[in-house]
Amino acid sequence: MADQANFEQDAMQFAPQLYSAALRMTRNPADAEDVVQETFLKAFRAYDSFEEGTNLKAWLYRILTNTYINKYRKAQRRPSEVELGELQDMYLFKRLGEQSGATDSAESEALDMFVDEDIIAAIESLPENFRLPVLYADVEGFSYKEIAEILDVPIGTVMSRLHRGRKALQRKLWNQAVEHGLVEPSE
Amino acid sequence: MSGCEHAVEYVYSYIDEELTFTRRTRISMHLRRCGQCCDAFEFERALKARIAASGKSEPPAELFDQLRALIQQEQHTESPD
Repeated sequence: MADQANFEQDAMQFAPQLYSAALRMTRNPADAEDVVQETFLKAFRAYDSFEEGTNLKAWLYRILTNTYINKYRKAQRRPSEVELGELQDMYLFKRLGEQSGATDSAESEALDMFVDEDIIAAIESLPENFRLPVLYADVEGFSYKEIAEILDVPIGTVMSRLHRGRKALQRKLWNQAVEHGLVEPSE
Repeated sequence: MSGCEHAVEYVYSYIDEELTFTRRTRISMHLRRCGQCCDAFEFERALKARIAASGKSEPPAELFDQLRALIQQEQHTESPD
């Protein structure tokens, strides 16, 4: 069992990442600070139940997720599976490939047209059920197993939400690029 | 199922390094033969890296002090002696 006296030393290194994730969840700096503070308080109080040598980062993210959900989810419970609609595989890759004059340059290079704000807006546009798996896999680099533990859902659910969330994110990036006049809209 | 369909079905598990050795090897072999799938996988990998790079935000400078103060305060309330 972990010693509460070591909490600050052990956990503080994860504060920047936890804040960044909280900001993507709440989309608001003041709320993100609140969520991180509450997470640290809860984690500190529960630290003697944390088993030393196990995954501290995942344990903190689980508390962060629960804190966020308890605080903010009530307001926006909605059937997000339906909301995403039909999603094509490799959506963005295919759309970019259809662009005239795109044949001589790799589609990966076309990613340079997006600025950080475009990527952030696309992540934050995802319904929460899909946003959290995408955030945890792509931004935080957690494995499917870790995400399943953090979100307390089966691995199969993580995979399906992550894969659908990524496709929806690609569609959003494409639609933003069309809106900004960066690409020709497809038929 | 064609090699391309099989590869596309597992693209995310592949780039996330979540596949069994056998399935991973089968897809790697397909990618060596198929330029189109190879480009598509490269694109998905580049997009994942881009999301990782762009999706992080720096915390406000005072966050660490706030958290330390919070923990110290909690320590005092827990053990008043």
